[in-house]
Formats: sequence, structure tokens, C-alpha cells
Amino acid sequence: MPRKLAPDVWLFAVAIVLLSTGVVMVYSASAIVAADRFRDPYFFLKRQVFWAALGCGALWLALRTDYRRLEKLVLPLLALSVVLLIFVLIPGLGVSVNGSRRWLRLGPLSFQPAELAKLALVVYLAAFLARRRDDMHDLQRGFLPPLAVGGVLASLVLLQPDLGNAVTLLVLTVGLLFLAGARVSWLGMLTIPAVPLAALAVWMAPYRMRRVFAFLDPWQDPRGSGFQIIQSWLAFGSGGVFGRGIGESKQKLFYLPEAHTDFIFAIVGEELGFLGASVVVLLFAALIWRGLRIGLRASEPFGAYLALGITVLVATQTLVNLGVVTGMLPTKGLPLPFLSFGGSALLVTMLATGVLLNISQDVHV
Amino acid sequence: MTSPLRTRVLILAALLAVAFGAVVSKLATLQIVRRAELAGLAERQYSRTISLQALRGPIVDRRGAPLAMSAATESLFAQPRAVGDPVRAAARLAPVLGMPEAEVHALLTVPKTFVWLKRRLPPAVADQVRALREPGLGFVADALRLYPNRELAAHVIGFEGADGGLEGVERAWDKDLGGTPGRAVVGRDALGREVVTQQVIQKPSPGHGVMLTLDTTMQYIAEREIDAAYRRTGSKAAMAVVMDPKTGDVLAVAIRPTFNPNTFAEARQDEIRNRAVTDPFEPGSTFKIIMAAAALEEGVVKPDDRIFGENGSITIARTTIRDWKKQGWMTFAEVLQQSSNVGSIKVGMAIGKETYHRYMTGFGFGAVTGVGLAGESRGLLREPGRWSALSLPTMSIGQEISVTALQMVSAFSAIANGGVLMQPRLVRATFDAEGRQTAAIGPRALRRVISEPTARTLMRLMVQIVDHGTGHAAAIAGYEVGGKTGTAQKMDPATKRYSHAPGVLSFIGVAPADDPRFVMLVMLDEPKNEKWGSEAAAPIFSSIGREILRYLEVAPRDAQPVQLTESLGGAMRAPQAPPLRAQTESVPPASPDPGVMPDVRGKPLRQALATLAALRADVELEGHGLVVQQVPAAGAPLAADAPIRLTLARGGSSEASHASGRAGAFEWSEARERAGASAPGARESR
Repeated sequence: MPRKLAPDVWLFAVAIVLLSTGVVMVYSASAIVAADRFRDPYFFLKRQVFWAALGCGALWLALRTDYRRLEKLVLPLLALSVVLLIFVLIPGLGVSVNGSRRWLRLGPLSFQPAELAKLALVVYLAAFLARRRDDMHDLQRGFLPPLAVGGVLASLVLLQPDLGNAVTLLVLTVGLLFLAGARVSWLGMLTIPAVPLAALAVWMAPYRMRRVFAFLDPWQDPRGSGFQIIQSWLAFGSGGVFGRGIGESKQKLFYLPEAHTDFIFAIVGEELGFLGASVVVLLFAALIWRGLRIGLRASEPFGAYLALGITVLVATQTLVNLGVVTGMLPTKGLPLPFLSFGGSALLVTMLATGVLLNISQDVHV
Repeated sequence: MTSPLRTRVLILAALLAVAFGAVVSKLATLQIVRRAELAGLAERQYSRTISLQALRGPIVDRRGAPLAMSAATESLFAQPRAVGDPVRAAARLAPVLGMPEAEVHALLTVPKTFVWLKRRLPPAVADQVRALREPGLGFVADALRLYPNRELAAHVIGFEGADGGLEGVERAWDKDLGGTPGRAVVGRDALGREVVTQQVIQKPSPGHGVMLTLDTTMQYIAEREIDAAYRRTGSKAAMAVVMDPKTGDVLAVAIRPTFNPNTFAEARQDEIRNRAVTDPFEPGSTFKIIMAAAALEEGVVKPDDRIFGENGSITIARTTIRDWKKQGWMTFAEVLQQSSNVGSIKVGMAIGKETYHRYMTGFGFGAVTGVGLAGESRGLLREPGRWSALSLPTMSIGQEISVTALQMVSAFSAIANGGVLMQPRLVRATFDAEGRQTAAIGPRALRRVISEPTARTLMRLMVQIVDHGTGHAAAIAGYEVGGKTGTAQKMDPATKRYSHAPGVLSFIGVAPADDPRFVMLVMLDEPKNEKWGSEAAAPIFSSIGREILRYLEVAPRDAQPVQLTESLGGAMRAPQAPPLRAQTESVPPASPDPGVMPDVRGKPLRQALATLAALRADVELEGHGLVVQQVPAAGAPLAADAPIRLTLARGGSSEASHASGRAGAFEWSEARERAGASAPGARESR
């Protein structure tokens, strides 16, 4: 049994290409907005480059650290996540943007505890499922504990409110339970309380209702709730097959809100066209394929579930974001991994990629 | 790893593959299938097409003196969504624009992407607004139409409103004057801000200039006299129409009441109306010349044939028509000299209905002259089949028919032109922005109405009327003048009977009779002041005619060549390309000391021209904005024919630096008040 292999070069290459694309696109999409708002066209670029560099450092660190040591960090990570998720809800500590308290300010930087929570949940689930993988048919010993942890974290995130990340946490939990062999009928029953819960969530925050309807027919209110999705479509349509060319987007000129964050893929579609956007989609698919492959080839259960968990996490966020931006899912704030502007999300994504690469070095054959 | 995990991972992989496939197919739908539709929608929101106003062509007189011209101004618009702080912006803009702060604030906060704040700002004010550096404001070049001579020839020139010419030549020649507006696309972002410089799709092509047949000097003379007569007699209206009989050129159309086209919005409709073409009137005795033309041409009568005056009254169809003086036997020449109704009716009845009608239409009555002005009346001339027994006799003395002043002048011009009726002409040429002629409208003979000998005879008879008859007050010393007086009672619309109130007093004449240079109709409508009597129009003809002949440098026939003390620029010159110099012969708003150059520095163009108008000097212009330099200097004596040079610049500089900023704006608004330029708002409201 060979102890160390070379890390998965394909995964590494895809991650770096996506990260680079992200840096370029963040600059392209944000320059004019930044110049207008901060009198500095490089405002967002500088920050993205900083976080990308930090992310590369995190990737390298994770690559050089044996992932097995994470297993011992499960409880501290979970505890820290819960504390920070509670902290962020406290006025004065959490920074409120657009009515949501999602950020903790650390000097000049801000950090989203929800990003840490996702990582903590992945590590917890991997550790738990690796230990109890034979108890999956036991409701109390195998099935409910992960759901409880995931549910608590998701509830805290929902209080911010941040529906996107709450859904991500739940999907991650359910997804890993599914992979670990949980009964499909039990998983199916979870959707029964999910319906009234979703209805309650929509009822509590009416803007979600509008977003849901906007996604079904954005032309009903093109200047209001349907504005963002229509502007996103116009960006894709303007791009055509070959795109306007890099830097040539017009939709980023204040038309498309969040052009450099959640909706950056629309700018990719406009500037790089169908071909460019498809390549980006395929890169994500390749990344996820490599992730699943690493999971299947891992030398021991914790590594396998950790790799699969990270992959499901990235896949969920990617597909939800792409679905939202292309108008197939209701609008909710969720960044596109690697590409969207956003420090803590990028840092966590890079860290997770490093962990994946570390697992890939250690396969059992 | 265990097989169950592998199975589940493969299921997940399949699900993910489906999801990624869905994303790619959605991308294909948006970027390939719906590409044109979505890209088109996107383009629409990026750009706003704005119209670039073409500079309107000038209207000049027959020698190139400007009657209407366009001054460069800028219109200020706001894009309310892009205005940073409407309260602050309104507070800063209001004093500069001279608008109430609340009004500016209201405009800055309307829920629209584009709103006009103020149209046609003078350059100095526009610069002040620019200096405020408020976001969300923009300018579009716009032009202000100026009528430097104010009321002069206002009825002919008309005026231009926001959407083109509304009256007069401005309206009739709107297509040529207006030019073609250009189009520019202004890129904009979602906040309505312009982010791309204007992209001109089509440059505006400036309008053509129109050169009229009017002569500013003759127009000025005619207006001065008509204005005086209008006030003196308390008439409802007064007018003089002058025509060159050989070409049909309309040389002057003076009408009172009048208006200032710079402030047309404040004018009443009865002031604006060009009565010379829109208002038919019953000509009365002047029409006896038309009757005489038909009778002489048809050989019904000769000048020396004797006619019995029936002692001053004749009864036809139980209606008695009287002469103002009892007459016995008289020659036909004397019938005209004494303006005998009885004699005229007897001759007229001898002509016959059909024949007389043929001559009247031959002279152009009952049809529009086609001079090219809107609202021209045909007058009233019924077909012979609809005439009553009284029609032929009353038409012989100019009743039961109505004519416009222009028809009348045109008909008499045919007599003065040896019997050939010319097409009345108001525009002689159009020219482009570089001064090159683009179209020439030459004199056009319409038809021969009477033979040349008959025309000569009529001229002799008309001279006798002035020399020995009722028209003696029209005489001009040193020249042979022919003409005819006319008095017409007006039909009371209520009773359908002729009222005894003073009606239309007119005189129409020709001078000099041997080589006619002009035909002129002078008309007073309902003069209140009786003491001027039935011949009130003749002396006005005389005083206008005298000055016109002197202006045209027509030598008196029975005198030594007279040294004219004042040169007014020579006789009418042959058509020439309009000079780019502005000649100022206009009604002066003030009379500066002639011979000494006044100080016009710091003044806007219109004000400067108004000041210089009285000097009758040629003025050469350079630049736009305020006068910053003048040659000769203030107070210097003016040479006889050296032109005055004015250099203009935006905002003022060098010598006029004191007039920058606020002062500039003040002077401009002051000039507007003096020249009576309408407030842009008032223009818009029409």
C-alpha cells in the first residue's frame, strides 16, 4: 500500500482555472461600480486578490496537513460555529447588509460564520458517518443525530436570515445521509415537515414570496421583483454564442444587481458567450467528478465521507447558484464557488479544495 | 470501499449530471434560441435616442439683411434618477435658472428617466450650470429663434414655435428652413446616467436660408408711415402693400396692428393675422380701374366718349345709387377723375356680365395669388350665373365683390406692367449654410390680361386722376403718379345693408407712371377720425412713395439731377448670393448718436445689433455669445461705409471679463425683456 501519491492534478488545475477566472470576472464586473461607489475601480479586485492569495495559502496548508487530524477538531469546530452564528445575530457584533446579519467584522475584513458552519458540518458528518456507517438503519443511533446537528446549524443561519445557506446545510446533511446508505423512505419522509416549514419561512419574510413568484414569471414585475432575473437573462442573451468579449459587458453597468457577487455567472455568459459559460459549467462538473472519484478511492471511511461531503457542498452551491442565475430556481443569495466576490466563502472553498487534494494523495488501491 | 456507497455515489453523480445538463440546455435557450429577443431588449435599455436639432436657416431680405436668425443656446435636462441630492441641486440651480426652487425640486424628483429643466439657455447661463457640477444634468444644443427687427415685417416673416414655423414665411417655408434633425444615441446605465459619449448616428443638416423679395428699407419706410397713420386715424387696421410691377416682387407689407414675433405667445390673433392675404375687403372705387380696363380693352368706351351723369343718381332694380357730387355730361376720363358711380355703372353695364367676369378673373380676382403664405383668401367673386340684376352695376363700382390687398396690388401691377399679370413673388431664392444658392425663384409672367395700348391708356387715365381728380393728395412732387382712391361702406352683417359708418378707405397707385417702379395699396380699415375724410389714404401713399423713389434713386422727371444727401446703399441690386454679413436696417429701439460708435461690449448679440441698428452700418460678426471686442472703439467716429466688426465669445472674456458669470446672465435676460423674447416656457406651452 503506497503511502503517498501525487495529489489530484486535474482537480488542482480545475480549481486554479476557476479561481483565476473568478478574479478576472470580479474585476470586469465590478470596476465601474467600484469606481462609482468607492472612486476606485480596483476596490473589489484588490480584495478578491487578497482573499484568493489567502485562499491559496489555506489550500497549501490543508494539502500539507493530514486530513485525519480534522477528525479531532469536530467538536471545537462545531462549537465555534454555533458561537459565531449566535454572535452574528447580536446587533453591534453582526454587520447588517440589506436587512440580513451575516457578517462579523474583523478589522478591515468581514467574515461569514455560515461559511465556517458549512465546513464544520462537513467534518462532523464525515466523522460521524465514518464511525456509525453500520448504524444507518438505526433511527436514533444513525439517522437522527446528523439531522439534529444540521437542523440546529440551519436554523441559526435561517435566523440571520440566510435561506440560501440554510438550504445548503440541510441539503448537505441529507445528501451525505443518502450516500452513507440511509433509508430512502426515511429521507423521503423529511420532505413532509419541510413543506410547512418552507411555507412558514416564506410567510415570515414576504420578500421571499415575491422572489418565488418573480422566478416563476419575472415579466409580471419587470421593474420590481423580476428585475434581477430579467437583467440576468438579458446578459445571457446579449452574450450570444461567442460573447461580447471580456470587459465588454453592458449589463454590469448598474443594470444587473450583484453582478460581481451572486450574479457573476451572468456576466460570464455575457462576456464569454455560450461557449465560455459552458466551459465554466463543465469545469465545475469536472471538479465535482474528481471530488466524487477521490471520495470513492479514499483509503478509509472518514476520508471518503469528507471528500464526498466537500464535493456535495460545492456541487450544491454551484447548482443552486447556476439555477438561480439562469432563472430555474427562485432567487436567493448564494455565491458561486471560486468565481463570486466574497472573502470568507472563497477562503472556505479553497480550504476545502486543499482538504480534497490531501485526501487524493492517500488512496487505497 | 463498500459497494452500497459506490451505488449511491453513482446515483448522485447521475442526478448531478442531469442538473448540469439542465443548466447547459438553459444556457443554450437563453444564449442561442432567445438571443435576438433578449439582446434586443437589452439594447433598448442601454441607449436613448435623442434628436439633434438642426440649426434653422435664416430669413433675409432681398439684399441679405437678416430678418430672422437662430442663436445657439442649450437646453438643460435632468435625469432624476441620477441626481444626487435633489434638495441641494434645486437650491443651487434655482437662482441660476431664475426659477422657483420648489419648481426645480419638483422637476428633479419626477419619476421619469428624462425631464427638461429649462429650454434654450443662453451660453453664459449654461456655463454657470456646468460649473455647479451637479450629477444627473445634461445639455442638448438647441437654438433660439431671434427676430432682430422685432415688429418689422412680422406678418410676412411669421414666427417659429417649438415644433417649427407657425406663421408666415416661417411656416410656409418650414421644410426648407427647418433642415433635417440629426439623431444621436446616448448610452446610459440603469441609473439613467450617460456612460458613453454621444454617438451621432446622423448629423443634423442645417436648414436653408430663405431670401425674401422684401426690402428692409422700403418695409421700414412703409411701416413707419402706416404706424403713424394707424395711430392718427384710430383705424381698426391699416396697411400698405408695395409691389414691383415688372417682377411681381412683394417689396413691403406693412400692417397694423402688429406684434413682436420674439414674443408671439403674448400676441393676439388679430395682431398676428397677415391681413394683406387673409382679409378680403370690398374695394369700392379703386375697382373702377378694373372696370375701365375691361371696357377699354373691349372697345365699349374710349377715354374721350361723353357720358351723361344723370345729375348724380341712377336707379336700377328699385335701388338708387348716388354720386357724391351731381354731374352732367362728362368724358369717361372725367368719370374716373371724379369717381362717378353713375358714369361707371353705365359703362360697366355696357361691358356685360360674362365679359366683365372674364376680365376680373383674368386680373386674378376670385382666386388665391399663390404667393405661398398660409391662410390666403380667394376673396369673393361669384359666377355670373348667380348674379342679380344689381350685381353688374354694383361690381362696376367695386361693390358686391371682395378682394385681398395682394390681389388688388397684383392686378394693378398688371396694368403698370403693360398688361401682363406677374405671379406675386415673396421668396426669390434659398441658400444653404455656406451661402450657396440652392434654388432660385425667378419672376414669372402668368398671362396677358389687357393689351399694351390699353394698359398705357389706363396709366394715362390714372395719372389724370392724381393730377386733376380725387387722387390729388397722392401726388409726389417731381414724379408722375397714377392712382385711384377708394371708399367702401361695409356691409353690416346684421342688416345685410351698407352701413353709414366709415368703411375701408384706400388708395392704390403707381409711380413713376412712365416707367413704373412700384405699385402700392394703402388701406385704412374703419378710421375713427373723420377729419381725414374719404381721401385719408392718398397722402400716406404720397409720403411712402416719395421716400421709396428717393431710396431707389429714381431721378425726378422735371428737375435737375438731385444730389441725394443720404445714401441708403444704392438702388436695388441684382440678385446676389446672400452675404454672411449682417446688415442692420431695422426699427431702432433707441437712437444712439449717429456717427459715433457706441459701446456694445459685454452685450449679447441681439442687444448689440439693436443698438447699432440706427447707425445703418454693416456689421460683421465673429463667434457666439457676448460681444468681447468691437471695431471701431466706443466713442470713435464712424466712417461712412466702413463696417463695424464685433467679436463674440461665450461667457465673455478679455475686455468684457466684467460681464462674465452672473452679469452675463443678467444682461441676457435684460436683453430678452427689451427685445421681448418669449420665455422658453411660454414657447413650450403653445
